[in-house]
Order: sequence, then structure tokens, then C-alpha cells
Amino acid sequence: MKNNSLFNKLSSRLDELSNLPKLDDEVSISKLIEEKGFSRREFMGWAGAMTAMLTLPASFTPLVAKAAEMADRLPLVWLHMAECTGCSESLLRSATPSIDSLIFDYISLEYHETIMAAAGWQAEQNLEHAIQKYKGRYILMVEGGIPHGESDYFLTVGAHGKTGEQSAKEASANAAAIFAIGTCSSFGGVQAAYPNPTNATALSNVTDRPVINVPGCPPSESNIVGTLLHFILYGTLPALDVYNRPKWAYGLRIHDSCERRGRFDAGEFVEQFGDEGAKDGYCLYKVGCKGPYTFNNCSKQKFNQGTSWPVQAGHGCMGCSEPDFWDKMGIVHEPLGDRLYHTVFGGLGSDATADKIGVGILTVTAVGIAAHAAISLVKKPKE
Amino acid sequence: MIKLIEKIEGEAKLNFNFKDNKIDFVDIEFMSTRNIENILRGKNAFDALVINPRVCGICGHAHLIATVQALEDCYDNLELSNKAKIIRELTLNFELIQNHFKWYYLTMLPLFGHKQQVLKATFPSQLMGKAIALFGGQYPHTSYAIVGGVVCEITEIDIIKLQHYIAQTIKFVEDNLVKTDSENFLTCKDADVLLDYEGDLPDILRQIKKEELLEYGKSYDRFISFGENSYFKKGKSLKTKVSHNISVEHVKESEMPSSFAKNVSFKDKYYEVGPLARAMVNKTPLIADAHKKYGDSIFSRILARVCEISQLLEHSKKLIKDLDLSEESYIEPSIDISQLNSSGYSAVEAARGTLIHKVEIENGIIKNYEIITPTQWNLSGGTKDKLGVSQKAMIGLSDIKTAELVFKSFDVCSVCTTH
Repeated sequence: MKNNSLFNKLSSRLDELSNLPKLDDEVSISKLIEEKGFSRREFMGWAGAMTAMLTLPASFTPLVAKAAEMADRLPLVWLHMAECTGCSESLLRSATPSIDSLIFDYISLEYHETIMAAAGWQAEQNLEHAIQKYKGRYILMVEGGIPHGESDYFLTVGAHGKTGEQSAKEASANAAAIFAIGTCSSFGGVQAAYPNPTNATALSNVTDRPVINVPGCPPSESNIVGTLLHFILYGTLPALDVYNRPKWAYGLRIHDSCERRGRFDAGEFVEQFGDEGAKDGYCLYKVGCKGPYTFNNCSKQKFNQGTSWPVQAGHGCMGCSEPDFWDKMGIVHEPLGDRLYHTVFGGLGSDATADKIGVGILTVTAVGIAAHAAISLVKKPKE
Repeated sequence: MIKLIEKIEGEAKLNFNFKDNKIDFVDIEFMSTRNIENILRGKNAFDALVINPRVCGICGHAHLIATVQALEDCYDNLELSNKAKIIRELTLNFELIQNHFKWYYLTMLPLFGHKQQVLKATFPSQLMGKAIALFGGQYPHTSYAIVGGVVCEITEIDIIKLQHYIAQTIKFVEDNLVKTDSENFLTCKDADVLLDYEGDLPDILRQIKKEELLEYGKSYDRFISFGENSYFKKGKSLKTKVSHNISVEHVKESEMPSSFAKNVSFKDKYYEVGPLARAMVNKTPLIADAHKKYGDSIFSRILARVCEISQLLEHSKKLIKDLDLSEESYIEPSIDISQLNSSGYSAVEAARGTLIHKVEIENGIIKNYEIITPTQWNLSGGTKDKLGVSQKAMIGLSDIKTAELVFKSFDVCSVCTTH
């Protein structure tokens, strides 16, 4: 079996982890989950879903389950920077059965402000204590952009009036792995939009340690949890794209597995919200969908336990997991069309991804060509 | 003595001054800001629909609805279908409901010495999150409301799902919060009768009475609420005297030297906003009774917020019955936004109280944008001669723990406040 070597590698990683001390000797994650009323079967079902998301074969499910049970060997520090707390909210709303939130809740050290019981001095001491105690072992997750340089005072945290920048730097220095959760800590986010009044920047710009970006505004709960499980399983950083995003989640464009992709290929577009096309679920490109330029797995994972996602609801993707989407992917209800915008494709113009790079698929059929022609039409001018 | 208040979506710093072992003055500071209003200037008007929900991850939806209404107010004869109006109101209701659950189980219970009940907070709020996602595609941070309506084209199947989510949430309330038929809770007019029920809410209310906390948290007894919809009324209430004739014109924001937050007053006076204010303006019998007996104390404030869960669930059921799926979701405005030179404002009731957005547009570009959030009302930091609402509520208390309880009974949110 060609996956054997990977399977063995991951198994020995988990064995190594199991030798590390647990957060609490009296508690085990499997017991914790059982106590909260989840059966083994439900837990394995959840692990199976996670396995598929991490693009591993189904035979790896027991490993993923074991990884989840090992989570208490690698404690988690979660820091809030300049943000709206939407990412924590996304996590709080993660799947029922709330196995993900249970695990997160349990392994999170005392500094997850939103849900933690201690406050103020106590919390800050807890954080410092945790950083010392678990030096080199904890996973750091940071939510929010970081006002930096001379503007760092726009974010002061904790009782000692430290700036957010200082606090993020210090926590990064001793972490085993660092994850920027959400577009704000990955790329600066909404507060970094022009004119960036607080000089907010990405976590990767304030530390010299490698940072894995898990962007999205907010990222889906499954991408946050998946990132954690991936690290536990592999013990190394995942394969990354040019923006340091894990490829297992951000490897494909929204457009690639969009449920309305067939409509795009057939040249069937919503011309205006509320029209017949909108009712029939036509492609949203012409009303501003940025799916062809956005790398994320929303179309597969969806949000709120798979309930829906923006394109399903009839609103185009706004490109929220791309850097500076506020400034570079506007205007919200209009297609990017031929307006120039700086991409990894060397500023070929925004449609470079859709036309020059993605066009190979389209031109195979005559329908595809028709679609290609259709997207270059300007949206119907209004009176 | 300085105390940091966290677990309120961000952080606030309270500086307590004691005199004769009683709190004499509290200085409230917010230590971070993102300056969203500044970012909005010069952007395309519709971009505000994407940027503004990001002001807050907890009440972002209220910001979306406020944005879309402020932009629509810039047009002269904008048409909006009944269906779009109802859908917007429903999703906003769901946001309020999920917030109240989380506040109660995550923030309030630990302050009364109970264990924080994470799953009890997340279970119903997940249901409500899903209900919003049915229309909006995701929660938090949907942008499904647009000028002229909503983008979603929902079907009967979505309605069935929605009714299921609501029914499950009502069941959760009946099994946990107040263990009785919702009908009994909703028609109860006597706050003391409520104390005889079982459940997480009566438990805390009894504890407030037993531990003699009934006098705590009283402030000016002055309430205001600007957001109007099919459930909430606009008006102000001075003790129990309600008048509905108020105008946003008299709402003023002023800078504070020590904090990134701005003060908000109405005709130079500070008012309380939020569920208690809404219930006072709406004259909800149960809350009016609690207020008569216990004034604007933490008892009434906590009861009002939790009670709103059941009221809004019930009201949402009615709204769904009025929903006509054959109506238009979106009606195109007669003028393109790029030809618009105008200004507008909106006021909606967010989880924590009145949220006001004001916008000026020049050729479709935002010239000025102003956001006044609920927490600014409640947490305006006044001077010793003119205390803010929450400041006044904390004066005279003898320990910081109780002060924290009083402070958090306003359900404060600092991310929003400093935006």
C-alpha cells in the first residue's frame, strides 16, 4: 500500500506525543468527550469527517481520532489582537456534536479572553506562567491584526499596558508552532485597509519565526480545527502556498469546486440580484463574485456546520481569504473584470487567473468558449 | 485600584477610586482602536456592506442591517419588499437571541459563583447561527442584505429548517432556562411568580434576592431606544414615563482624552440602552413589574435580557407566518449609487441596545461615516459631576467583584465601542 510509509510516520509521531505529560493526569480527552454525552461512534464519525477534510484516505481515521485524543499534550495559547472576535465566534459555533469546541476548550490555556473565567491581573499572570511552563511546546494561535511600529499604542493589552505587538512577539518566541487565525493576523485585515490608520499588520511581520496563515473572515471552524489536528498528526508544518496557507485547505479556488460552476461553464449568469437567474441559482460572477481569484475550501466545507455559504445564499464570494481583499477586490457587487490588481500571477490583470490560467478547462467545449465570451461582457449599464 | 475587565469581546480598563471603603468614582478606559470610520472614507458606498459587519464579530449582523438602512435612507423613493424587510428582521432577531444565551451562560453565571456552561451557551447559539446562515450564507460576517433588498432566494424547505431551529431553541429554553411552557413564561406578569419556577434563570434571580443584591446596579432610571421594527418601539422612558417623540438629531458624540471610546448623550444627558430600555419603552408587563419592584437594578436588567430570548423567538414565529415567498427579494433602486449625492442615517436595535449609523455620500463614494454603538451609550465615561450610566451604577459599592457584576450586567462590548 503506497500510504504505508505515511501511516507509519504519523503513528510513530503520535506514539512520541503520548509520552509527553498531559495537561491533567486525571483527565483524558476521550473520557471528557464521553462525559459530555458523545458516544464512541459519534466521535469516530467526527474523526472520519476530519480525515476527509485533511485529504487523507479513510483508513487514516483511527489516527486522526488518536491525534484528537493527544491534543492535551500540546497546549494552546490563543491571543487577541486588533480584531472583532469573529474568529473565536466562528469557533464557538463549530460543529455539533461540539467535539471540536470541546477539545479546543479543554486544551486552551487560560488566555482565551472571550471564554475564560479569570480576568485582568490573574489572566496576565496565567499567560506568563503558561509561556514559561510550556516553553517550546505550546501552539500559538493569534487572532487579529497588529498595530505596529510607532502606532503600536493603538492596541494595549493586559494590566501592565503592554502593546499588542510586544505581547505577540514574546508569545511567538517560545511557541512550537504559530498559526495566524483569520485574515487580520494573516494579512492585516480590515483595519489594514487603506489608509490603515493604526498601521496594522500581519503577525508574520512582527516575528521572525515561521507563521502559518489560516485566513478567512472568519475562517470556517473546520479550517481552524483542521490546522491544529494537522500539526498534531505530522509534527511538521503543512505544505504551504505562496501566502503560507496550508494547501490542504487553500489549495483550490472557490471557483474550482463551486456548486454553481456548471452555470459558469454554461454561460448562465445572474445579471442582477433578484432576477430569474438568481432564483435559479445561476453563476454570480457578474454580480461581483470573486470566487475565481480566491483560494479556500468554503465551497466544500461551508459554514455553521455545513448549513450554507455565501455563494449558496446568493451573494458572491468577496475574496476574504486573500491579502488586502478590502482594497484589491472591490467593488463589492461588480466583477473584477479587466481592472488591474496585483496577484501572484504577476499583475496580469485580475482575469488572468480566470482567463489565461483557468481558461484551459473552459476552451475544451464550445459552451466553455461562450462562457468565456460572456464574462468579458460588461455588466448591464444602469439608467 | 485598576481592574481589567475582559471576556467582554476585547478589553476595558476600569480605574476604581475608593473613599471610606466605597467606590467613589470609576474611570473607564478602552485601550485599543481600529479606526473603521476613517477606513470607510473614500471607499465605494457598497463596500461599507462588507466592511461594517467586521466592526464586531458578535453583533456584526446589526452593523450590516444598520449599514444597509443608512445607505437606503440616502435614496428618495426606494422600494423594499415586505419579504426583504421580514427576512432582515428575522436574522437580526436571531443574532440578538444567540448573544443573550452566550452572555448569560458564559459571562453572568461565573459572576454568581457558578461554573461557566460552555455547551449550554454554544448549543442554542449554534442553532441561531445556522438560522442566520440559511439566509445569509454564514454567520458571523454575512453581507447578504444589499441596498434594495436581500440576495437570498429561499424556498419552503429553508422555512421548514428554520422552524425546526426555532422549535429546538424554544425547547432548550423550556428545558434549561425557565422550566415551563414558554407560553407561561411569556404571559407571566409578576416577577415574583417567576421565582417559583425551576431553571437557570430563576436560580440566579433567587440568588440575587437571597444575597441581597437587589439594590445593586441602579443608575439614572433613564432609558432610550431608537431602533424601530415590527416588535421594538422607538422612545425614551424616564422612570416609567414613556414618550415616543425623540429624534436622532439630539444624539451627540464627544471625544474623551483618556480613552479611545467616545461618549454619547441625548440632549446632554446619558441614557441606558439595551433589553431593559427596550422593555421599558415597549412596556412589557413582566419587566415593568420587575422595574416597579426592584427598579433598574441588576435583577431587572438580567431578567429583561433573558426574557427577550423567548419574546423574540415567539415573535419570529409570527414573522415567518407573514412571509410571502412569491414576493421579490430585491427591487433595483431607480438611481445608480454612483449618481447619488446624499446623506442618510439608520437606527437599529442590536443585542446591546441602539446602534446608529450615519453616512454622507458624494457620487457614490463615502464622504463621511459615523457609527454610534450601544456600549458607547452605556459606558460613556463621565466626570464626577456628570457620571455615565454604568459609572453611576457602580458608585457606592464596596467591592470590586460586585462592581464587575454590575458592569457586565450591561453586556459590554469593547471591540464595537472603539471600532
